[in-house]
Amino acid sequence: MAAALPQEVAPSFDEVDRHVLQAFMETPGLAYWAWIGFCFTLVGIGVALWTRQIYEGLGVTGLRQPVMWAVYITNFVFWVGIAHSGTLISAILYLFRTRWRTGVYRAAETMTLFAVLTAGLCPLMHLGRVWFFYWLLPYPNERYLQPDFRSPLVWDAFAVSTYLTISALFLFMGLIPDVANAREHARGWRRIFYAILSLGWQGTDSQWRHFSMAYLLMAGLATPLVLSVHSVVSWDFAMAQLPGWHSTIFAPYFVAGAIFSGVAMVITLLVPMRRLLHLEDVVTPWHFDNLAKVVLLTSLIVTYSYITESFMAWYTGDPIERMTFQMRYFGPYGWLFWLMCFCNCIAPLALFSPRIRLNLKALWVISIFVNIGMWTERFVIIAGSLATNFEPSQWSFFGPSITEIMITVGTFGWFVGLFSLFARFLPIVSMTELKEGIGWLRQALRGQLYE
Amino acid sequence: MTRRYQEHEEIAVSSNPGAVLQKTGVEPEHRPIRAAGPVFTGVSAALTVIGVIAFAVGLTNGAAARVWQAYLVNLLFFLCVAQGGVVVSAAAYLSQGRWAGATQYRLAEAGGMFLPVGFVLFFGLFFGRTVIFPWVQHPVAQKAAWLNTPFLFARDGIALLVMTLLSLGLMRASRSAAACAWAANPANIVMPPPAVRRLAPAVAIAFAAIYTLIAFDLIMSLAPAWHSTLFGAFFFGASFLSGIAAMALGAVLLRSVLGEHNIFRTPRVLHDLGKFLFAFSVFWVYLLFAQYIVIWYGDMPVETFFIVQRVYYPPWEAFSYAVAILMWVIPFIVLMGVRPKRTPAILGTVAFAVLVGAWIELYVLVVPSLSQWVVPFGWIELFISLGFLGIFLLSSAHGINLVSTTATTEQLMEGEGHA
Amino acid sequence: MSETVELAASFVAEETCAHAIEALREAHVGQSRIFSPMPCHKIQHAIGLPPSPVRAYVLGAGISGVITGLLITIGTSWEWNLVAGGKPIVSWPPFIIICFELMILFGGTTALLTFMLMARVPAFEPTAGYRSRFSGDRFGVVVVCDEQQADMVETILKQVGAEEIMRDAA
Repeated sequence: MAAALPQEVAPSFDEVDRHVLQAFMETPGLAYWAWIGFCFTLVGIGVALWTRQIYEGLGVTGLRQPVMWAVYITNFVFWVGIAHSGTLISAILYLFRTRWRTGVYRAAETMTLFAVLTAGLCPLMHLGRVWFFYWLLPYPNERYLQPDFRSPLVWDAFAVSTYLTISALFLFMGLIPDVANAREHARGWRRIFYAILSLGWQGTDSQWRHFSMAYLLMAGLATPLVLSVHSVVSWDFAMAQLPGWHSTIFAPYFVAGAIFSGVAMVITLLVPMRRLLHLEDVVTPWHFDNLAKVVLLTSLIVTYSYITESFMAWYTGDPIERMTFQMRYFGPYGWLFWLMCFCNCIAPLALFSPRIRLNLKALWVISIFVNIGMWTERFVIIAGSLATNFEPSQWSFFGPSITEIMITVGTFGWFVGLFSLFARFLPIVSMTELKEGIGWLRQALRGQLYE
Repeated sequence: MTRRYQEHEEIAVSSNPGAVLQKTGVEPEHRPIRAAGPVFTGVSAALTVIGVIAFAVGLTNGAAARVWQAYLVNLLFFLCVAQGGVVVSAAAYLSQGRWAGATQYRLAEAGGMFLPVGFVLFFGLFFGRTVIFPWVQHPVAQKAAWLNTPFLFARDGIALLVMTLLSLGLMRASRSAAACAWAANPANIVMPPPAVRRLAPAVAIAFAAIYTLIAFDLIMSLAPAWHSTLFGAFFFGASFLSGIAAMALGAVLLRSVLGEHNIFRTPRVLHDLGKFLFAFSVFWVYLLFAQYIVIWYGDMPVETFFIVQRVYYPPWEAFSYAVAILMWVIPFIVLMGVRPKRTPAILGTVAFAVLVGAWIELYVLVVPSLSQWVVPFGWIELFISLGFLGIFLLSSAHGINLVSTTATTEQLMEGEGHA
Repeated sequence: MSETVELAASFVAEETCAHAIEALREAHVGQSRIFSPMPCHKIQHAIGLPPSPVRAYVLGAGISGVITGLLITIGTSWEWNLVAGGKPIVSWPPFIIICFELMILFGGTTALLTFMLMARVPAFEPTAGYRSRFSGDRFGVVVVCDEQQADMVETILKQVGAEEIMRDAA
């Protein structure tokens, strides 16, 4: 087994440490700070336009009856979706004792945290009177009203807040032993920072005993949480009676779509990160091979859902259902639908080939397609179904305003900027877990994956 | 039989010495215990005969509706169990799971030989179509292009043929020497051999698509006004769960039958099966709830009538609650801890409960559409079910013997091996 | 009067460390503390303590989460009983969702807090015997014993395959 292999086989524990530590223990150069500056400039533009929106009201957006949910809600669903894959990789695959998880799960979990943070902002952006956001939470008040627990929006508030809390705690807990290791190798302000963050962890047997149990339990709790949060988000739509929204398949379909877009985003982030941070020997093509298979699997599930929904729209015999889907394929948003089909259903089919899965450039391109496709899918479902509702005289086709576009761009800047900050100051690969599974890493580096 | 045993023995010895699996002390001269021996075959044959007689008697005595309902429910149930098992095998290959060596694959595929039998039996539905499918005698205008006899039997026939051929292909590839060697070597990250590697995803994808089609055609169409997009996935999710439950029950039964040295005596194997059962029972109830809450909230009569009839009013109300209790409440509460999963009696009972629950679930899905307020359950249903059970056991006899062989020649060290 | 001595042995591999623990137990040497850079099943198995009680607390917290969810949802719905969307005042499908989320929230937070409490973390002082390498790439066994026993212990540890043994006054 792992420990039976001779210690001279690379990499040793010390080499793993050195690989990962060099990624974040050195002071970053000018290029890095320029990149951070760029990301937060985008954030600044977004914030400025959001401030204008708060001052002038939601009229500055493109929202008009009947399309009252469009880009902001799409962003919300998109970012919550991205968050899910991180928890899948770190919690669900932990329960399955999956071997390739260790090299990528920290980056994925970090991505989760920042994606949920971003997602949490999106409903706030959608509020006209942002300062009343706390009305969603139950507390004693004089308005003779409590949140309506029968409303999916309240379920959402609970689900996303729970998810944010649990993701943060789970990430933090996993970081403790790693940051303790970093503390031992650090000097100056870093040493103090890591000492505080690691809570003085020393890795005694009694500490590990409680840690392992707590970690396993958190993974076990996070697993149903992943399923439930995006199901609850999907029920924001499925609870309505609107054709195109009212569909029982939404819950697992959205969860699969979330994992799909999330793992694609992990690939989008990890491929350049691995190169820039010189982590080629700990995040290997074997990891990407497996990530690509998850992308392929979820792509097939999403394709299945599209086909089932389309078939059922015809099967119901209901003229309004049939019309909604006809407009989806051939109406003014039809080009978005076909773009979505190409990006989500056709492009990932290339991943059936091991050669493409192991070719990181091709994989990265496909992951970009998937990100575009999944954002588009949410838009097609949300704004597309609303635009062609029951009453044709109400139909109106939404176009985003500059406010919405720049705020969306700002959310991307926020997400990537935060992720970049984390990656350069905290361990983006888990040294602890890599050492646990060092046997698999050694085999992966030797490269014999397919007979 | 002896030859195959020797062949497997050679593989176990010549593979990587660092492998977790080791031979037991069973000598090749001793014949391995065959769980599916003459008694087993005799009893199964007897059950089959009872079923055939009940079928004939029922048809000739004017109970055609009840006969065909029982036929459909049992056909679906045993197809689900057999196919679910094969798909568990495919899923295990895809996730490179080797927590019990080659035995887990033999166990999963044990019921696979029922699939060709089930395929043939499917065409029997043609003779009962007037009493099974309401749209045969009362065609639904808007759905007639999809719900008509020739198209339905053609597409479902071809679909089941494809599914059967792919499953049999996977079973054959899975029993090859290369696959057994791969399964005996969990310390390796190499992928399974090429034949398996190509067939396993094909089986999984075909299963999702084809069993969705079967659910839509053979269950949902019995209430032609109703629709639910998740129904297909709900059906094949329940099928996967049934496969796991059958595996767990099989493991517990074989544990006692196969004597002192068999892999099912390793607590970790039962623990893993228990975890699977727990997890997928929760997944099943999630799919159930996802349909329920959408239909409940929308409150649209075209969707709600199906649920209302089954869940809110007697006589079907009790059955629906029974399904939920057997398929979710019991596994969830009983199998949460570590020790119940490792106790064969408890695991076996829960697995059996899940299987009974799965049967009742199909009964509740199919029969109320055809018999609104009367619960037809008597000797006909009982004996036809026993008949199908007999056919299933007969066709699985060879598979069960294969499991017996592999289980007695592989032995795991407690705590070793990784999923 | 014999002084107590602290012996800190470092091991390269997990297995040798586990053997050391077993050897020390057989020699009836009490009070050893094990350091490791990663959670090790073999070492926990060698030490042989029952599973951590954290799980009992988490179960309790989960159940209290469900109960809290029921109290909040049913309580507020009765208090301000508006019929919305034709749904009953107390309708279980939506309330189940809230209960579920609160179960996870309470359970997860309790897992972390209980872990911190039982592992005595944050730790403001270094544990006796801790060496910097034990967080990196070495496993450590630290034994506190009398001067007389110290030699015997050192022999045992060397036999099992310790890479380095450091002796300090405790």
